[in-house]
Amino acid sequence: MQRRRAFLFHLVCVVLLVGLGVGSVLGAQKPLVLKMFSYDINPNYTGFEDPIGREITKRTGIKLDIEYPVGDPEERITLMIASGEYPDLIFHKGAGKFVDAGAFIDLTPYIEKYGDNIKKLYGPYLKRMRYSLEDPSIYYLGCFGVDSEIWDVSGFQLQHAVVKELGYPPMRTLKDFENAIKAYMEKYPTIDGRPTIGLSLLADDWRFLITVTNPAVAATGGPDDGQWYIDPETYEAIYHIRRPEEKEYFRWLNHMNDIGLLDPESFVQKYDQYKAKIAQGRVLALTDQRWQFEEAERALRQAGKFERTYGSYPIVLDERFKRADLWDPGYSASWGIGISVTSKHKEAAFKFLDWMASDEAQVLVNWGIEGVNYQVVNGKRVIPPEEFARRTNDPNYIRETGVGLYVYPFPQRGDGQLDPTGNPYTPTTKDYIKQRYSAIEKEVLAAYGAEMWIDLFPQKSEFPLKPWGAAWQIPTPMIEDLTIPLQRCDDLCKKRIPEIVLAKPADFDRLWDSFQQELIDLGIRKAEAIFTQLVKDRIKLWND
Amino acid sequence: MRRGKTKERLFQVFLYGVMVLIGVITLYPFLNVLAISFNDALDTVKGGIYLWPRVFTWNNYREVFTYPNLVIGFNMSLLRTITGTVLGLISTAMVAYVISCREFIARRLVSALFILTMYVSGGLIPEFMLVRKLGLMNNFWVYILPGLISGWNVFVIRAYMDTLPESLTESAKLDGANELTIFFRIIFPLCKPILATIALFIAVGQWNSWFDTYIYCSGNRALTTLQYEMMRILQDVTSATTSSIYGMNEYNAPRTSPESIQAAITIVVTLPILFVYPFLQKYFVKGLTLGALKS
Repeated sequence: MQRRRAFLFHLVCVVLLVGLGVGSVLGAQKPLVLKMFSYDINPNYTGFEDPIGREITKRTGIKLDIEYPVGDPEERITLMIASGEYPDLIFHKGAGKFVDAGAFIDLTPYIEKYGDNIKKLYGPYLKRMRYSLEDPSIYYLGCFGVDSEIWDVSGFQLQHAVVKELGYPPMRTLKDFENAIKAYMEKYPTIDGRPTIGLSLLADDWRFLITVTNPAVAATGGPDDGQWYIDPETYEAIYHIRRPEEKEYFRWLNHMNDIGLLDPESFVQKYDQYKAKIAQGRVLALTDQRWQFEEAERALRQAGKFERTYGSYPIVLDERFKRADLWDPGYSASWGIGISVTSKHKEAAFKFLDWMASDEAQVLVNWGIEGVNYQVVNGKRVIPPEEFARRTNDPNYIRETGVGLYVYPFPQRGDGQLDPTGNPYTPTTKDYIKQRYSAIEKEVLAAYGAEMWIDLFPQKSEFPLKPWGAAWQIPTPMIEDLTIPLQRCDDLCKKRIPEIVLAKPADFDRLWDSFQQELIDLGIRKAEAIFTQLVKDRIKLWND
Repeated sequence: MRRGKTKERLFQVFLYGVMVLIGVITLYPFLNVLAISFNDALDTVKGGIYLWPRVFTWNNYREVFTYPNLVIGFNMSLLRTITGTVLGLISTAMVAYVISCREFIARRLVSALFILTMYVSGGLIPEFMLVRKLGLMNNFWVYILPGLISGWNVFVIRAYMDTLPESLTESAKLDGANELTIFFRIIFPLCKPILATIALFIAVGQWNSWFDTYIYCSGNRALTTLQYEMMRILQDVTSATTSSIYGMNEYNAPRTSPESIQAAITIVVTLPILFVYPFLQKYFVKGLTLGALKS
């Protein structure tokens, strides 16, 4: 009885205390909730209730209610515009529709008045955010890291087993690449009981561009400008497959097919079949981008077949060319976050964005909370080992801690940039990337006298400025003479290139010439002239 | 005599063989999805999963069920399926009865109006504006009212009603029944096979739809549906595996792959409706053939 009474007493106390606690929290200032639409899904968002989200609310008095599209985001945007009701903040991937509908406010006066942090973060690139020559308003702030260092590169890929077996031969030209594949394939006609595949391509829908046509520009020294090649001197745009250099790349593919080193299923296989072959460890070489085959590589790692994962090599057509994978296009400002005309809290929303651009916020969103997610030792930010292990291995890390959750698509500093204390803004460093290399990867790199794959490539500093940015990010306006020929030529490529690559070498020249004539007949020259003008307009807008 | 018997038996064996083959072919896609859903995601990447999993795992299902809102979504899907089916069925049958009545003067006009909806629709944006003006945004009734009556279903039911002898309604009228009594006491029970069929169509449609949740009700978590939540999970997983170029995602190995999650989701959403099927099946087969053949 006594005990019971004591228990009841305690219970009452606890209830009272909890009540008081809740009361005081409710009594505190209620945060201002800003609605936001995000074009990209963030699977780790839990309603701004994670530790970092709460910390941001504490420091700014703002809470974000973010809506992510579940279906096609374009559909959602169309409805938003039709109804004329916008959330306070909109993250878009192409401002055209919004600007045409008058959905965004011009941020220029706000930047002048309240935007010190934004000015500091974007620096000279604020110019690149102006909408067009006719309308130089700034409608949104770019979402990519400013001046981000590139430490990861795809190049052309070869299995580590191949270069190791052959004693690390020089890997410069397509000839080197071909010889390595050939020598290894002759030695090992099967891998794990299945036939070895030399080079496999993927032509499934839009992926055709990634492994079939883009590599032709890359191997002939061009940067990634989508379907275009821009002459760095005259700024003339040309549909890149029309460059004579690239003819030689396809001649090589044709030759590879002729001598049986090209996967005969290259142009018919689906994405999952392609990944399956790679995951089985029997494809020796690829001309792909890492994000496209990393799932298969992960399966290889899980199976312990590290020697079947891939190294990245700066392969070019011949010694005349220089791989431009690390040629920095500069800041890309075509996607970003803007404030809507219907927002009732424009000033607060802007001040929030400006706060997100501050050093304080950048450290918070990238590193987390001091003493919890990182520590400062001798003036240096370090992540404790257990935290680090969780950060790399625990798939729920972001969701539970909120660290890294609010970096993209907000204003952000790039990897490798240092804050006033001399610490990097983001925890991604060269060392971090090196730590993730496997033992055999380090062995191969050491044999080539490098520490990282990027060391094998011509460095960023070897290239001049790229004043037009990346041409694939230039929005294509609806001009009949541009969009229609472009679409038709893209379709034609998908049809003709497989025919040409799979043809007998004797027929190559004839087929190629007729393909080129067809492109001209479809009106590609006119489209090139229009695009050249777009490039020149952009250069003028960005650099005046 | 004996030869005839063996011949017949051989034919039977052949027949059964063909049937089994057709059965397997029909079931295969489903079995394949089932197998993938129970197979380790990274192992699935290697390909070659056909009828059973190679590396068994519950992880794909575990991943699906870590998401919140699934219970709310399930209840809401159930509620809208039941409400939508009951109301939809009664309303559709009533319209069908009215335009099957010979003495109804405007039957041609009304039929024409319904036929029109089968060929022309307002399109997404006008529909959206209408729903908004009607005050149905973030409202449960947006799941029920706009699609309550479908022209197609009306005509399927009417075609069936036309096969009922007219003398039935006439004699009922002589006995003093009004139209409502005739409809509920005579027509409705007689139409059971076709009504079961239509009920299944409506129910499957209601159960499967997610787009209306997305367009009209994404602002209210309490109105979320199972399919909508599944769609979200699928997109989350897809974006987690493909957007590794941005920010921190690249450090965290995705829990599973889109293909495997898609398979698990397919199974999760298919099973409930699959259980309804056997109960309606006896009507279903009858309904489809009856409605189509008798005239």
